[in-house]
Amino acid sequence: MKNKLPLILTFAILAVLPLMVGDYWVSQFNYYLVYGLFALSLSLVWGYGGILCLGQAIFFGIGAYVMAVTTKGMISPILMNSYIGLLSAVIISAAFAALLGSFLFAGKGINGAYLAIVTLAIAIVLERLMSNWYALGGYNGLLDIPPLNLGAFGYSFELWDSLPTFYALWTIVFSVALSLSYLVRSDYGVLLTAIKTNPDRLAYFGFSILKLKLSVFCLSAAVAGLAGALFVTIDGFASPTLIGFTLSTEVLIWVAIGGKEILLAAFLGAIATRIAESWLSEIFGDYWILILGITFMASVVLLPKGLIATPLSNLSKKLGLKID
Amino acid sequence: MDIIIPLFDAMSYVLILVLIALGLMIVFGMMGVINMAHGELFMIGAYVMVLIQSAGLPFVFGLVLAPIVVGFLGLIIETLLIRHIYLRPLDTILATWGLSIALKQGIVLVFGPEAQSVTSPLDATLVLGDFSYPMYRLIVMGISIALIAGTFWLFLKTDFGLMARAVIARPDTSAGLGINTRKLYRWSFVVGTALAGLAGALIAPTISVDPQMGLGYLIPGFLSILVGGAGPLAGVLVGGGAVGGTNSLLTVWISPVAAQIAVFILAILVIRLRPNGILGGKNEK
Repeated sequence: MKNKLPLILTFAILAVLPLMVGDYWVSQFNYYLVYGLFALSLSLVWGYGGILCLGQAIFFGIGAYVMAVTTKGMISPILMNSYIGLLSAVIISAAFAALLGSFLFAGKGINGAYLAIVTLAIAIVLERLMSNWYALGGYNGLLDIPPLNLGAFGYSFELWDSLPTFYALWTIVFSVALSLSYLVRSDYGVLLTAIKTNPDRLAYFGFSILKLKLSVFCLSAAVAGLAGALFVTIDGFASPTLIGFTLSTEVLIWVAIGGKEILLAAFLGAIATRIAESWLSEIFGDYWILILGITFMASVVLLPKGLIATPLSNLSKKLGLKID
Repeated sequence: MDIIIPLFDAMSYVLILVLIALGLMIVFGMMGVINMAHGELFMIGAYVMVLIQSAGLPFVFGLVLAPIVVGFLGLIIETLLIRHIYLRPLDTILATWGLSIALKQGIVLVFGPEAQSVTSPLDATLVLGDFSYPMYRLIVMGISIALIAGTFWLFLKTDFGLMARAVIARPDTSAGLGINTRKLYRWSFVVGTALAGLAGALIAPTISVDPQMGLGYLIPGFLSILVGGAGPLAGVLVGGGAVGGTNSLLTVWISPVAAQIAVFILAILVIRLRPNGILGGKNEK
């Protein structure tokens, strides 16, 4: 429990923040929560599982489109329900990851740099595909996606205001983050560390590398899919950019700058980068992206563990904690 | 004969792709560095040409200047960035990705996001009976072939190439035999980037020059070296031919977008089923 305090504290601070800022910032924080959740998914598969997926937006985008199609009633009006939408977004993202993963990892499999390039190529393929899939809005995407509806049994409770939406999202993201932080400290987490550091020895001990890799890939895809599904409920708009190159790049930067090997650092990396973006892009204008690129480069070279993870792990050493 | 023109188009695309992939391959095969900014170096080569033309200087001057400028940039990048992360190959992807973002935005800040056009130095068209083809494209093809041959010569016939190949095969033994591996890495990186710059300058008149142009060549370039096999240099020819040729020839029958999707998927299948590439042998492991 002691080890979870930094995470719990972070979310406690997040929980009171909306009460102190205006409506605009609350709606911004809704986005930050979703992006943070997305960053958690990449941190899990990359920092803990050792699988560098350059196309993480594949799963975010799938979640987004599944949620959009379901809650807009494009499949069937019976399925127009937020719970069904979220559930199917998670399941379909994970199922796609299972298919893709068994193709990529089975047998000798693809690793390291090859995997990075291939996942990036797949993200680009899917982005092109969605831009030309006219039944799903094509290049223009899908508009007017309804917000989360927490009602059940015939009651409807649609989250149109940003404050209730914030607490709904906060609850979801906090539960996922806390569960993940327990998961990576469990026996399963030990196996993940082993697969990252010495897969051959793990195989020698009789564990199935394929199953482990697949499981973490699917779990991460499920979290990314959930993030995508939540994103369209606050944004109301699903477009091919959600599945492709740009978003994959962005999440990679958040997680790398924050620190991929600590879940909390990745989460904060996403939020910090977004906040910095909304402030600094006003001050520096077009120079902001230049600064972001250079910061990213510098942090990879100088602080490979991440700008937030490095002080965080120093702090945790002093306090004798194991932060995730 | 409707097929001749598409065949020539395919060949000219393949040759440029091979030039780009060769640069990537020298850096990746030798140092294990994945240079995600390679596409942007190619783009900068094209922008050098834009500058040269707006200054009213001759086209040939641009062809000479572009590889020098981009090669010098490569030297700076190697010194400031790459040499600190040789031992962390996966981090090179991230660092050069950051670099690619910065370079792209740098170009946007200087030239603006809109596309620039470079006029072709030659308007002539080669006509042989029913067949006609722009002269400039033929010249580009000729220069590309010469450059590819030159790169092969550099790596297969010169002392530099011999040392480079020794370093690829056994880095530690080569260092023990007195080869300055760091220096070799540096100059190979410069050769790779200069090739990208020259390719960008060469092709600038035939495409639209914009800040996003790099990515469209980077991914096919990488797929080419992975398809061909990241070992022998000849793999680049096979890979570039397979990826570029399939892509251009498919556009004869299906839309460019569908063709590109099909090629990416085919390439991924090949990479998955033959991880050592078409030319690569069985895995030694």
